[in-house]
Amino acid sequence: MVQHLLYIDPGSGSYLVQIIAAAVLGVAMFFKNIKLYIKSFFHRTKKDKDTPPS
Amino acid sequence: MSPFQYHPASYRDPAGFVFELDGKLYRQVNTVYRTQYAQLMQSGCYDQLVNKGWLLPHTALNNNPTGQPEALCTIEPDRLFFISHPGEWSFDMLRDAALLTLWILRESLKHELILKDATPFNIQFRNGKPVLIDTLSFEHYHGNEPWVAYRQFCEQFLAPLVLMHYTGQSLQQLLLAYPEGIPVATAAALLPRRSRWSLHINLHIHLHARVSKRAAQATEQQTSPRAFSRTKLLNLISSLESAVHHCRLKEDSTAWSDYYTEAATRDGYLVAKKELVGKMIAAVPNVHTIADLGANEGLFARMAAENGKQVIAADQDAACINRLYSELKKEALPVQPLILDLAAPTPATGFRNKERASFISRCNADLVLALALVHHLAIGRNIPLAMAAAFFRDVSPWLLIEFVPAEDEKTKVLLAAKQRAYPDYTEAGFERAFSADFSIEQKNPVPHSNRILYLLKRK
Repeated sequence: MVQHLLYIDPGSGSYLVQIIAAAVLGVAMFFKNIKLYIKSFFHRTKKDKDTPPS
Repeated sequence: MSPFQYHPASYRDPAGFVFELDGKLYRQVNTVYRTQYAQLMQSGCYDQLVNKGWLLPHTALNNNPTGQPEALCTIEPDRLFFISHPGEWSFDMLRDAALLTLWILRESLKHELILKDATPFNIQFRNGKPVLIDTLSFEHYHGNEPWVAYRQFCEQFLAPLVLMHYTGQSLQQLLLAYPEGIPVATAAALLPRRSRWSLHINLHIHLHARVSKRAAQATEQQTSPRAFSRTKLLNLISSLESAVHHCRLKEDSTAWSDYYTEAATRDGYLVAKKELVGKMIAAVPNVHTIADLGANEGLFARMAAENGKQVIAADQDAACINRLYSELKKEALPVQPLILDLAAPTPATGFRNKERASFISRCNADLVLALALVHHLAIGRNIPLAMAAAFFRDVSPWLLIEFVPAEDEKTKVLLAAKQRAYPDYTEAGFERAFSADFSIEQKNPVPHSNRILYLLKRK
């Protein structure tokens, strides 16, 4: 059987915040994707500089 | 069997611990961590992370040095010449450590693993780049749970970065005051109202603080994590990454940040000084590690590193250290940049005051460089020369120190701000004070100036 070794306290409400944040981000992503889709008609998409070096 | 010593900071995680044996550091992996460790090593996750330079590589031992029955195996991680504390890092160092944590988290998810903790104490800097040192930070990922270390990430990485971003101040001292991270409620209370306009910062700090407060007041405790899809987790990681990217420290020109640009304009002074310092360092036998105290932007630290030395480059000026770090990122030199106030160096902290060692006990330099520093200690901080000598004696057996006389332009600026006299601040007074702890091995005037370089050996 797999034993979990999660020794840190996730913090009260931390899971709930992640659920709320994910819901908000889901909506934000939806609109961002639409924006990017429209933009891509007019501009060449640039590489996102946020990506880590490989 | 020779006795081993538990590392005083390695007691939280039941998966294993770090110990010291015959001057080397090892990590024992316990049998309770068997499946997680196997997953890390066999899924290709370890190789990926090590190849990218994100995880400190290790070699596995084929014996059990502790003799404990719960030992699954023992590993020997690559040796780092200095262990720094997050409170000694510049803004960009903390920011890069935060990004590295998120990149490792994303990479580990590809191998069905997740980070079970997110603390800057698990990150160190090697040749100007951050690296994760805790091989046991990985836990199985089942594809449906939130991130257990989310709050820890927000409090230990995001909160200090966001506070520095919005105040424009270097707040490294806060990391020392809050070793477990700045509570999101504290960060939210300190942040200006406009920080709410950033979606990501609002979610991870402001909303986080509100929801945590409500949850703490609620009688019913939420015990088990609710289902949380992989897509949601990846969105959350991207959002945290955007929040970290949002944080930038404005480049202000500080008192000492243009020191060398200005110094270089004086005819041949810097060139001659570099040559002399290089010669005097070469005269010291068996030097591997140098501590450049009052390093400014690390001109001499980098010169020493280019000559094959490992260098700890410390300065009180956060902007200088940040700039040195940016240079090191390009050059990949073995220099450890550090923000340090020599009049109050990092103390020993943590449980029993033993968990995190003080700067003096961590600094195992063979030689200390103290260039254009002594007037700041003696006049700027009113430290008697004999006490300054005692400090250097504690740090290293050899000292290359520059005496900056009272007639020097830089000293005059410091003296002008003071109402008191410093009758002992003379060449003779300097030699008298340092002779109690050191013998003078070399004494050379710095060309084109009235300064003197001394090479001193601890008595």
